[in-house]
Parts: sequence; structure tokens; C-alpha cells
Amino acid sequence: MDVGLFGQYVMNGLMLGMMYALVAVGFTLFFGVLNVINFSHGDVLTVGAFTGLATYLGLSAIGVSWAPAQVVIVLLVATTCMAGLGAVIARYLVLPLKAAPALNTLLLTLMLGTVLREAVRLFYPLGANPQRFPPLLPTTAYSFGNFTLRVDSVMLLLAGLAVIVGIHLVINKTKLGLAIRAVAQDEETAKTMGINFTLIVLVTFAIGSGLAAFAGILHGLYYSEINFAMGLLLGVIGFSSAIVGGLGNIYGAIIGGFLFAALQTIGVLAMPFASAYKDVFAFGVIILIMAWRPTGLISEKISERV
Amino acid sequence: MSGGDGNALIVEGVYTAYDKANVLEDVSLRGEPGKITCLLGSNGSGKSTLIRSILGLTPPNRGRIVFDGTELTGLPTHKIIATGIACIPEGRKVFPKLTVEENLRLGGYQEPSADVVRGRLDQVYETFPQLKERKEQVAGTLSGGEQAMVSIGRGLMGAPKLLLLDEPSLGLSPILVKENFNTIQRINEQGVTVFLVEQNVRQTLAIADYGYVLSKGRVVAHGTPEVLGRTKEVHEAYFG
Repeated sequence: MDVGLFGQYVMNGLMLGMMYALVAVGFTLFFGVLNVINFSHGDVLTVGAFTGLATYLGLSAIGVSWAPAQVVIVLLVATTCMAGLGAVIARYLVLPLKAAPALNTLLLTLMLGTVLREAVRLFYPLGANPQRFPPLLPTTAYSFGNFTLRVDSVMLLLAGLAVIVGIHLVINKTKLGLAIRAVAQDEETAKTMGINFTLIVLVTFAIGSGLAAFAGILHGLYYSEINFAMGLLLGVIGFSSAIVGGLGNIYGAIIGGFLFAALQTIGVLAMPFASAYKDVFAFGVIILIMAWRPTGLISEKISERV
Repeated sequence: MSGGDGNALIVEGVYTAYDKANVLEDVSLRGEPGKITCLLGSNGSGKSTLIRSILGLTPPNRGRIVFDGTELTGLPTHKIIATGIACIPEGRKVFPKLTVEENLRLGGYQEPSADVVRGRLDQVYETFPQLKERKEQVAGTLSGGEQAMVSIGRGLMGAPKLLLLDEPSLGLSPILVKENFNTIQRINEQGVTVFLVEQNVRQTLAIADYGYVLSKGRVVAHGTPEVLGRTKEVHEAYFG
């Protein structure tokens, strides 16, 4: 295969992997602190992307047309709003069900996801149709043979990387991160250290949901289009990535996200005649990995499963 | 007791239940400031439940718990800790995947000043030099004795006024048990009020100022170590 074309696939795979990893980190954080699966996570991403789009339209309407300002404000508003939404979901839907079987939380968040998705479809103007997402980043591109290097893609990749490094630093180098890890390992002992458990759960949900919004904007900027159902597949892929990496481990989730994107890319490269089957191929391999390592690649929390 | 209740731990008529079955029934006791008060009792007598009730992990259904003039009943655990209480839990409960130093730092979680935390860390390392050598090691890989040091050191990191100890000698070798009791005594000599829950009768009574005996969720005897040593309830509570 042509080197340029191969490079193009790699670039695309990295971008996808970044989005999946950002979503997967959310799943794994929620599971870490509360042992729950939040199935509304993908739809929070959708709402985040639409919040970003609405913010852009609002900014244009009041005459803010300088793209760098627009992109920063769009990102800030979307991530902040979804962080708030995540904290509200944790406070009023997830925490009250703490004593109930985990299945109840799963079902409740699944239903909430449907509500969010349908709300976007019904209440956003023409929400049932795909919406054009504005190109807020420089559209300059350099061609090297079959390889086209888009400046905006590079910026998105770097931004995603910065966010992942930022999360790593927060989790490992700050007092907040230490508290999150302590709660994830042993909730009761963490409480007796004087950690405000409820607050840590809310902050963790805020962080995870803010990351989903960021991934949603990334998706919009990269594909120049968003739609009300985008979070459905991204949610399932993010969840699979978190599981295959080993639920509860953020590095596992990041690896899982890039692994899934790599599998999709390999699927396309290996079967150019049937690229529509890339998801079938990727999920199939994930199923095989799970059969081989049922607790994921980097398994966590086995000993705590009493 | 003319000095008022400053710093005292007061438990009054406490009933605590899991799933409606009472584990504690009408438990009343006092931990006097600056003293070592012990609670003896066999397995299943409700000792750990009392610790959980004080910490707000299993809040009592009736009765009240007061420390240093603050009513603890109904407060969330982190606010109970903020009144100056630290706990060295049963089974040590170190965070296995965190390093020794991270474990210790969590003990000082509510202390806002990084300098103060640093100073306390140095103190803990002075008391337990072994921990300093292993500060970057993950706590789950330490020996039982070293984990006990982490657990005690972590409890001291909050500079507590009251230290709750839940069976600190459980699972330790006889030599380490002795060392453990010496450590508890030293901590107490620095002015920390100690509430010690134990099964190890002889060594506990040797260091305690006052003791209570719990059996089937009720206080069946209390008194000075000399009195308790001769009480038949103590023997019954363990061997009856």
C-alpha cells in the first residue's frame, strides 16, 4: 500500500482513538468511584456537542466572529455545562440508588440516555437532521503525495493529548486525584480519612462528563457534522474500550480506546472491499480479547469483588 | 470529672442495627480526655459496630454520641473526622495500590497547609524509619507489621485529639503486638485520648486507665483495670 495513504489512515485512527479514549476514561472513572456503569454517558457527549453548536450560533448572532475566541468559548461552555449535567446526574439519579442493585442504576441511566437523545432530536431546531458543525480551526492543509496533513487535525490531536496528560496529572499529582483513587480503592476507609465522599463522586462525574463534551466537540470539528444519535455508537465503543482495557483503570481505558480505533483502521486496511464491516471486525476482535482476558487487559478490582 | 466534658467521648443510650436486628442495645460509655479507655468483648459482641457508629459509617438509630462538645450523631463521616478524630481500623485497611507516602498523606487529608503535612510526615518517618525507606513502595506489598505501621502513622497524620483503635493487634506476631501496645502508650503520653477496642485482655488492661466489657451488644461490666481483671463478666464475655 501507498505510504501516504497508510499515513492518512493512521492519522484518522489516532483521531478516532483520542475520542474513544476520552469517552472510555469517563466510564472508567465513574466505575472507579461508585462501581456503576453510566449508560447515559454517550448521550451526554451528544448534548455537549449540541451545546457547543448552539453556543457558536449564539456567538455569531451577537457578532463574535473571531474564530479563536469562538472555539475557546464553545469548548468552555460545552465542557462546563456537561460537567454540571454530570454532577446533577450523579447527585439525583446515581447516588440515591447507591444501596440498590447495580442493575437498577444501569437501567436508569440507559433510560436517561434515551431521554437526552430524544430531547435533542425533538427540541433542537430540525434536530432529527444532521447539523453542520462550523470549521472553527484553520483549514490549511499540506499535501505529501497521497497524504494530506490538515492543520486542524494536528491541533485537535494535540489538544486531545494535552487533555489526556492533564487528566493523568490530576489523578496522580493532586490532592483531588489522591482522594479519587482512595475512594475508588476503599470507600469506607476513604471516608474515615476525612474525605467528603459525595463531593468526590460529584467532581468525578463532572470531570468524566466534561471529557465527553470535549470529545463531542472534537468529533464535530473533525467531521464538520453532528447528529442526535452520535453518542449512541460512541458510547458503546467507549464502554467497550473501558471494559477491554480493564474497567476502573484509566490507562486501560486510554489503551482500549486507541486499540479499538486501531482495530477499525486495520479492518478497513485489511478489507478495503468491505470497509463497511470495520465495526463488525473491531467488535469481533474485542469479543475474542474478552474471552481470552475476561477482566480486561489491565485488570483492576478483582480482589475487591467479594 | 469537674473539668467538664471538654475533649471527652460520650456515648449515651446508643442502639445500632443492621437490617433491623439490633447489634448495639442501650450502650453508654465515656472516653475521658487524655486517658486510654478500652472496650473488651469477644467476636460478634458489637465492638466494631460501636466504632462504626462513632464514625457515622453505621449511624445509630437511637441515642447520642458527643465528642469535644460536638454532637456527632447524624453528621457525615468527614465532618466527624473534622472534630479531631482519627481511626486505625480493624485489619489496618491500608490503600493497597497507593504508595506508603500517599497512604500517610491521606491521613492528613483535612490539613490545608502543605508545610504542616510535611512536618507530620517527617515525624511519622522518625517514629517508623522503616516507612521512610519504603515510602515509594505500594502499601499492598508490605508485610503485616509494616502495614500496621502505615495504619498507625496514617492515623497520626491528622494530629487527632481522639484516636479510635479497632483491634490493632489482630493478626500480628506476639513481638509486634507488644510493640504495638508500646506505641499506643507513647501516643497517649503525647496527650491523645485513646479509645481502644481489643480482644487481647491482658495487654489491654495493662495499659488502659478504664475499661468496658461488651457482650451481645450490651455493656455488662465497667471499671478500672484492677476491678475488671477480677470481674467474672470479663471471663464470661470471652469464654462463657
